[in-house]
Amino acid sequence: MQTTVVGSYPKIPDPPAPGRWRSSVEKLQRGEISAADLRRVEEEVTDEVLREQAELGIEVVTDGQIRWEDGFTYFARGLTGFTINGLQRYFDTNVYYRQPVATGEVTWQAPISVQDYAFAAAHSARPVKPVVTGPFTLAVMSRDDHYRNLDRFVMALARALNQELRALAEAGASIIQVDEPGLLVRRDQWPLFQRATEALWDGVRARRALYLYFGHIDGLYPAVLDLPVDVLGLDFVAGQQRNWEILRRAPFTKELGLGVLDARNTRMETPEEVAAACRRAADFVTPSKLHVSPSAGLEFLPRRVARKKLETLAAGVRRAKEGAA
Amino acid sequence: MTSPILATTTVGSFPKPPHLLDARRKVARKQMDPAELHRLERAATEDWIRKQEELDLDILVDGEMYRGDMVAFFADQMDGFQIAGMVRSYGNRYYPKPAVVAPVGRRAPLTVDWYKFAQGLTSRPVKGMLTGPYTIAEWSFNEYYPTRRELVLELARAIHDEAVDLERAGATYIQIDEPAIHTRPDEDFDLAVEAMEIVTRGLRAYTVTHVCYGEVPRIYPAMLRLAVNQIDLALKNDDYALLETFKSPPFTKDIGLGVLDAHSHRAESPEEVADGIRRTLKVIPLPQIYVSPDCGLKTRTTEETMAKLKSMVEGTRIVRKELAS
Repeated sequence: MQTTVVGSYPKIPDPPAPGRWRSSVEKLQRGEISAADLRRVEEEVTDEVLREQAELGIEVVTDGQIRWEDGFTYFARGLTGFTINGLQRYFDTNVYYRQPVATGEVTWQAPISVQDYAFAAAHSARPVKPVVTGPFTLAVMSRDDHYRNLDRFVMALARALNQELRALAEAGASIIQVDEPGLLVRRDQWPLFQRATEALWDGVRARRALYLYFGHIDGLYPAVLDLPVDVLGLDFVAGQQRNWEILRRAPFTKELGLGVLDARNTRMETPEEVAAACRRAADFVTPSKLHVSPSAGLEFLPRRVARKKLETLAAGVRRAKEGAA
Repeated sequence: MTSPILATTTVGSFPKPPHLLDARRKVARKQMDPAELHRLERAATEDWIRKQEELDLDILVDGEMYRGDMVAFFADQMDGFQIAGMVRSYGNRYYPKPAVVAPVGRRAPLTVDWYKFAQGLTSRPVKGMLTGPYTIAEWSFNEYYPTRRELVLELARAIHDEAVDLERAGATYIQIDEPAIHTRPDEDFDLAVEAMEIVTRGLRAYTVTHVCYGEVPRIYPAMLRLAVNQIDLALKNDDYALLETFKSPPFTKDIGLGVLDAHSHRAESPEEVADGIRRTLKVIPLPQIYVSPDCGLKTRTTEETMAKLKSMVEGTRIVRKELAS
């Protein structure tokens, strides 16, 4: 049983501590500092976030996605064929992203996230899990002015991001997480999603994690077990009881990402609630195949609350382990 | 209530002058007497009233010199809320996100004094400006109510009381901002409609709701069920793409036609504004059209705001002239 996170981490501390990343972006916009200066600040914040996760008891960490404008721009601006458009709502959250628009052939030219991964891996006491937004989600959240065909658009993205995953594996990532919350708003596209997932992971030599959050996977289970991934991360907050119920329908053959703490609400769970969820999951998955985490990235929360959530997560998993021992 | 054809107005917020931003920071750090800040806010409000008169806008706003965030302003003054911390909404934009920790309710009028002050400065109508219950609920963490529905409806009753007080104070235009209304279009739109009915029930004032970002086509034509006279929308942002949606079924409310991109630095030209209005006239009848920016202008500089609004007024005049000849 292992503690992990799903991705993002709050970039700024709680006031009155100065939000250095935030003020640095302002300074860059005003031309007072250079892009290299901002990058240095982002590295310092990444360093701090890596340390914070480790101190709070997280065993497999992420770089906190400090350099991500959002989950789409970060990748789309590194691929050919995209321009970046106006603000759109990110799923059912109060967070906005700039919508990528495909205006030409989408291809991978050079590593996008590898340098950031390498920085984090070199500065972390714990294993770092790189996160990549999946081709399906990237496609459905973008506007397609080029292919004018979801199938061709998704598959082009899958081939492009396959190269990114290969590059991450070559850079030493032993596990890679791909986020595909978009599947849960376009369930009708399951066959396309399956083909895209196969193309995405083709030849990638790393452990493969697929995270599906912001909803339940009723209607997609047990079909998702056929996907070529090792870990399936599910949201037991937004997915509520339905994700628990569907697990009864067929033997769960993968490792389970157990998203139990609400990453989108400040209401604080107790360690006992986390431990109870771990024990409940043990009915379906042996504890060694359990990756316990918040339900999604933590940037929906203020820093103080995110910290407390991770503390609770670690305490809950400790309690579950003691109970199991 | 008589207003000219293509009456011009704005969405609510204007940029705060640098000395006011500075004063707000000082008060937050307890380095300035709040009474001094209040004096500066009144002076800045008067300045914006004069500027709007000079621009020859038809329906004015107080400019929200005294508000920080549109939800926190209400949450700070109401029962049941506390500020949980700073949360990122996009880019380097953060907002203080409230958490509902106890039953919500209004202790005293929230906006009436500022409305009366602003209206006392001008003979032109000033809009009463409220944030809608769905948006207050959606942009807060809910730690208290078992369901979002209970929270939204309780807030609707409080905002209704505020609207009644505004009307008693003389407001003939009342705007209820609901930028979050399409967060969960399939799940929640009926709730949003029910909440708006509670807010505007029995009002004689002309009512407006402002909706921005997100996928407006997904709540069309359902949004025509909202119990308001006018829906104010961002058209310019996406180059009037929404007009396609409004062709059928027809747009039966008045529209606040967003003709200025609130998030670009560039001032649109008068001809660009006129062209947008002309395109709209092919889809929506003239008596239903009010002209406005896409969104509040508080993120622009004063110079950008003035240049944009000048073009808006001039562009509107061009079309008025064409229609008169």
